[in-house]
Amino acid sequence: MLRAAKKLFKSNYLFTLGVIICVAWILAAVCAPLITQYDPIIQDLAHRLEAPSAAHWFGTDDFGRDIFSRVIYGGRYSLLAGLVTVVLAGVIGTFYGAIAGYVGGRIDNIMMRFSEMILSFPTLVLAMIINAVMGSNLFNTLFALVIVAWPKYARLMRSVVLSVKENDYVTASIALGASQMRVLMKEIIPNSINSVLIMATTDIGNQILMFSTLSFLGLGSAPPTPEWGMMVSDGVNYFNRFWISGFPGLAIFTMAVGANFIGDGLRDLLDPKLRKEF
Amino acid sequence: MKKKLLALVLVLTLVISALAACGGGGDADGGGADGDAATTLVVAMEGAGLETFDPGNVYETYASPVMNLCYDNLFNFVGDDPNVQPILVESYQFSEDAKTLTCVLKPDLKFASGNPLTSADVAFSINRCKNLKGNPSFITDTIESIETPDERTVVFHLTEPDSAFISKLTYKSMAILDSEAAKEQGATDAADAAETDTARNYLDNTSLGSGPFVLEKYTPNEEIVLVRNENYWGEPSDFERVVFKLQSDANTQMMTLTQGDVDIALNLTDDTVAQLDGAENVAVVNKPSMTVCFVMFNMDPEIGGPMANKDVQQAVRLCLDYQGIQQIVGEGTVTPYSFLQDGFMGSKGTRDVSYTDIEAAKQKLADAGYPDGFDVELTVCDLSFTGTALTDVAQKVKDDLAKIGINVTIVQQPWAAGFGDAYRAGEVPFTVMYWNIDYFDPNVQLEFLPGKLVGLRAKWTEDMDPEIAALIKDCMAETDDAKRAEILGKLQDMTYENGPFIFVAQGPCHYGYNTRLTGVTFSAPHVIDLTQVKLAE
Repeated sequence: MLRAAKKLFKSNYLFTLGVIICVAWILAAVCAPLITQYDPIIQDLAHRLEAPSAAHWFGTDDFGRDIFSRVIYGGRYSLLAGLVTVVLAGVIGTFYGAIAGYVGGRIDNIMMRFSEMILSFPTLVLAMIINAVMGSNLFNTLFALVIVAWPKYARLMRSVVLSVKENDYVTASIALGASQMRVLMKEIIPNSINSVLIMATTDIGNQILMFSTLSFLGLGSAPPTPEWGMMVSDGVNYFNRFWISGFPGLAIFTMAVGANFIGDGLRDLLDPKLRKEF
Repeated sequence: MKKKLLALVLVLTLVISALAACGGGGDADGGGADGDAATTLVVAMEGAGLETFDPGNVYETYASPVMNLCYDNLFNFVGDDPNVQPILVESYQFSEDAKTLTCVLKPDLKFASGNPLTSADVAFSINRCKNLKGNPSFITDTIESIETPDERTVVFHLTEPDSAFISKLTYKSMAILDSEAAKEQGATDAADAAETDTARNYLDNTSLGSGPFVLEKYTPNEEIVLVRNENYWGEPSDFERVVFKLQSDANTQMMTLTQGDVDIALNLTDDTVAQLDGAENVAVVNKPSMTVCFVMFNMDPEIGGPMANKDVQQAVRLCLDYQGIQQIVGEGTVTPYSFLQDGFMGSKGTRDVSYTDIEAAKQKLADAGYPDGFDVELTVCDLSFTGTALTDVAQKVKDDLAKIGINVTIVQQPWAAGFGDAYRAGEVPFTVMYWNIDYFDPNVQLEFLPGKLVGLRAKWTEDMDPEIAALIKDCMAETDDAKRAEILGKLQDMTYENGPFIFVAQGPCHYGYNTRLTGVTFSAPHVIDLTQVKLAE
């Protein structure tokens, strides 16, 4: 595995690039106070709407806040949103799908119809409705993203479990008297998890975009939180001042692309069917 | 061979359609500038979904400049003058009890059709508006009956003393219709007009008024064309045609204005106005509108918590950075003195931005028992006023309150998903909201006082300030404007440092116009009074 990873770094430049971008963003988000010299929240109306300069690398917004600081701090929210959503949705979806696939029969039928019901809504609209009804703050936005995201994991997991549970080692385990729970946890899930992991890594970029979209529409965390999607929408009224929307937009772009590159690389590594000869 | 033929046909189709498109474009351009371009006034304004120009039904803001050109009212506001003036009326008299208004019409008034304008037309038009029970019928609520003893005299009997009544008569749906012509189109002023009147379709596309222009054509979402009324009883306009281009995008308006394609642009933003700096032949108007943004506390301690405390309210009033808020809302913003916006009859004007005093605010907060401040939630909805999001003002308030130790957390709640209902029911503890006037009279602002519509939304009841409540009644009954202004002045002083509202900004409007014109000013009731726009000498 480790050797494969090494080879992956060497042969897959996009993966390497993705890792560099994401590590850089994570470092920036963690060390934000060290990198930036302005507070991302405190207003300074004497310097509002200034173009990028040596003092303010990315310029300032309509409250005179330093956009560079806000972009760096904003990484925290986007990273958090991407990771938390994928982990939660992945865990929920995995167990849900595994149970449905393993138990089968009528329960499977009911469980899967329910997840399809959620899938049948347009994702963005469903997330907006949840957010609008519950009130928009960071927690509710993440909640909405998880609600929208988990069914696809459940479907994937179920389909894999259906084939895994026919394997001889599962039958052997049952014959040895293992409990249902043990079979599920020790045999089925560990042998089906790969495809979910692949899906999760490619999904991080999507979730970051989705989170930014909701914030752009005013359904994310409350201002003055330096959140990228919200910063892009701040600049909409200032068409000829590109830096207000431009830099946070660029940040969303690099983060999403970086996460996707990593996802693609990991798929190459983990999916035996797609793995190239290194 | 077949393939070649097909290709040829496709190419020909493309060429022909391209040519047709060009031709069409040329025609459309020519249509707007029919006649002499110099005597055509082109106005760009927002107007998506303007529904009607029927005086009995008209309600939308951007129908106002059109109605103002096509119809006359008994009284009206001219240019940017905040005092009402008689238009069709020669003389008028309010009765002692302020419940009867007698108006005598000017002689020799006539409609665009040539029909004479008489008291019967006045009674017909206003009764029709009342009986249609449409959106604007609220304006007739205080009318009990209308009497017409002779051709030139109209007597209004009111249900209660209403000192705002003359201002109400300037409202666009109180415009005087040519009753003879309207009846031919199915109009009626009978009590069941809501069901039996059939003139609306006709009046949506044509005007039957006595104004300096006549509505010639209305193409929804595209343009409104007016032509000069050759029968006009007053001084004729400098322009033969007025064309309203219904185009709301500020950037497009700015570009067409600099290119000289439009003469007046009504929906510029702070940002686009800045780009007009130094443009040739273009001047701008940045004026405070009547749309006012306010901070509101709930007076009920159970709901408002610490914000219900008068000393806390005063501390907030002292610590807000009014100048900063003006900057955020944009060029032309002012801070009103109190509940009555600058520009109204009787207004005490603006609050000086040097009112801000952080030390005094800290002292007030300590007096209230919170020397170290406290945490509070500020609920704000997703609406905007004059181009500024309420959340932007909320962010500024948060920043200012942090200076005296009040730690604000902003909670966003969409208007449609709960905030609107909670706000109207008076259940919001602390918020930033805005208010737009229905008609142009200072009495509309009395709603912000205890026991009235908006006052109750802050749970400000009459018994909390009985002195103010008594003055409100006096103000409603005082038909002498000088005396009414005096009462309004007292009310403004009593709320200058008191009450659950802090009026932080009157949002600006930004107009741009070609310097070949004069008389372009902001008009609160009409958006813009185009009757006063003339060609520069």
